[in-house]
Amino acid sequence: MQKKDPRLYFNTLIVFIILTSLSASLLNINKSGNGITFVLDDSYDFIYSTFLALTVSLIFLNSLRVAWIAFLNKKQKISLLIISIVLIVLSAVNFSTTQAEDFSIVRNFSPALEYFASLVMTYGIIYFTVIFFTTLFHLPTAEAIDRKSEELTSLKDITKLMSQVFDFEELSETITSTTIKVSNSDAAWIAINNNKGFEIHSISGIGLVDANHISNFLISNSLLSEIEVKITDLQLFDAKHKLAKNMKSIVSAPLLIQNRNNGYLFAARKTSRIFEEEESKSVNTFAGFAAVAIENAKLFEESIEKERLEKELDVARDVQYKILPQQTPKYKNLDISALFIPAFEVGGDYYDFFKIDETKLGVVIADVSGKGIEAAFVMAEVKGVFSALSRIYDSPKEIMLQANSILENCLSKKSFVTAIYGIVDTQKGTFNFVRAGHSPLYYYDGDKVQKLIPEGIGLGLDYTDKFNGSIKEMEIKLNNNDIIMLFTDGINESQNEFKEEFGYRRLEDVVNKNSILSVDELSNQIMTSVTLFSKNSSQHDDITLVLLKWNSHII
Amino acid sequence: MADFDVNKHGVGAVSVLNVKGFLDAHTAPELENAFNTLLNEKQYKVVVNFKDLQYISSAGLGVFMAYVETMRENNGDIKFSNLKDDVYNIFDLLGFPLLYEFYKDQTEAIEKYNQAK
Repeated sequence: MQKKDPRLYFNTLIVFIILTSLSASLLNINKSGNGITFVLDDSYDFIYSTFLALTVSLIFLNSLRVAWIAFLNKKQKISLLIISIVLIVLSAVNFSTTQAEDFSIVRNFSPALEYFASLVMTYGIIYFTVIFFTTLFHLPTAEAIDRKSEELTSLKDITKLMSQVFDFEELSETITSTTIKVSNSDAAWIAINNNKGFEIHSISGIGLVDANHISNFLISNSLLSEIEVKITDLQLFDAKHKLAKNMKSIVSAPLLIQNRNNGYLFAARKTSRIFEEEESKSVNTFAGFAAVAIENAKLFEESIEKERLEKELDVARDVQYKILPQQTPKYKNLDISALFIPAFEVGGDYYDFFKIDETKLGVVIADVSGKGIEAAFVMAEVKGVFSALSRIYDSPKEIMLQANSILENCLSKKSFVTAIYGIVDTQKGTFNFVRAGHSPLYYYDGDKVQKLIPEGIGLGLDYTDKFNGSIKEMEIKLNNNDIIMLFTDGINESQNEFKEEFGYRRLEDVVNKNSILSVDELSNQIMTSVTLFSKNSSQHDDITLVLLKWNSHII
Repeated sequence: MADFDVNKHGVGAVSVLNVKGFLDAHTAPELENAFNTLLNEKQYKVVVNFKDLQYISSAGLGVFMAYVETMRENNGDIKFSNLKDDVYNIFDLLGFPLLYEFYKDQTEAIEKYNQAK
């Protein structure tokens, strides 16, 4: 018996009522014996009896199909009760009328019609009696079923709302107002635990002061469970606190996100009827929704913030690349290659070239301590300092001393800058430079690489004569194919998966082996070695590499 | 990840900080906390023992720069001892040895404080 059309039963019933009526009339089973009748043998009575039996069973079958009553709400059930009484009475009255003597007019006109009417009324009596009792028995549970169906509808609404609304306040207000409905409470509110304490939200049916008062009372008396829904009878504390003046019973449901407590959904009731287990369960269900709403709102906000920051970082990266030289300067007898790879969006490395005059070229490389945005801001300042000073002074030492005293005003106590500043005199074929705490300068003299480390304290470490005294200028006489290499410690401190550093030795080897190459090819070779070495590890510091190759033949 | 650790003990009027592991931008705040504790206790004579330090980054170096001035103003100092060669090289490149005192052994550094008395 699967879902058969209920109308089929009903139609069959009608058919059988008609058949019974006709057979009765044709067989003249008639109490009074009047009218036009075919008098047949009594042995044919079984036809009528069979039809009657079938009709009666169909009447019962149809009458028992009243499951729909369960889904009516309380109000509808009460009305149905009244209606069914009225209809029972009406059917009974009608039935008795068909049996009465003065109905003989109809009987005489058509015995079938009489049978039909009485059978219909019988059906009416049985059917409405069944309805009456069914409804009566369903009445006590009507409220619980109402609440369940209310809960279901609310859940459906909230689920829909959650997929459309990301505003926490709007969602949580819907949640508290539906909580009140489904748990039969008078007030509901949400307390969110931010790090500073509990923050009350979406109050419904209670004042902020009272909500705060009750929440704080429950929290300070450890009457809340971190993970479970709890019913608290405030009347127990009535003597000491005036809490129960308004609210007598409280349900507290924790807002759990990944098993971590984020606050509570409270439902409170004014009447002295304490919350039932079932009601606290509904509150708990909505607490689950509130927790998800909080999490969603937070994630949504974070994603917006993240997007904004990413955009700003993109801008910062563009700006930083613009601060660096767009192209390397061209000199007949000097080949130049430069490369900058930040570890993050922006970095603290800096290099630059300054055409001092037709024959002199200033070169600077610098590394700001720390990483990221903070280093990038200092790097921009360092650029300003060096580009200004390179126009005023033509002594590397003087420029470094001035740079240190200017940076005193803009460097924090904890940060410093290492740098090398040098000037290539393309006419004389010399390179004069100073080093302030920076990684060594590599000089390939046609035979092998030398690590040059003239004394010099890093910028920002000291602002006294100690700094000034420490800076020592060094001069290199350039010969054909000599290479000068400036770099930041991102290269030699590149690590492999075993936390080993690339180191100076490997770097020197690469330069020694590839010294015949052009500066661009050499730069490529160095970066290839570094990348291969650290391929299973992420870059953790900015990398800058500047190569100068002297070509005296062209003069 | 406990990749850095700092512990403190006193030797007479001198406080010794033993640093261990990797001192970088992530772990530098731990060292800062140790220095703040020293300031609260008015301990200005400090020796940092680098025996167990594997690595130091620029952010780690910055911590010493941030506190040395206060220590010196209060008749104290930050002295370094027991550095591994590669760690010392980082300090050396930056010119720290011109500004700070470095000792092979912790006792020498403590001795230095006691002599100055």
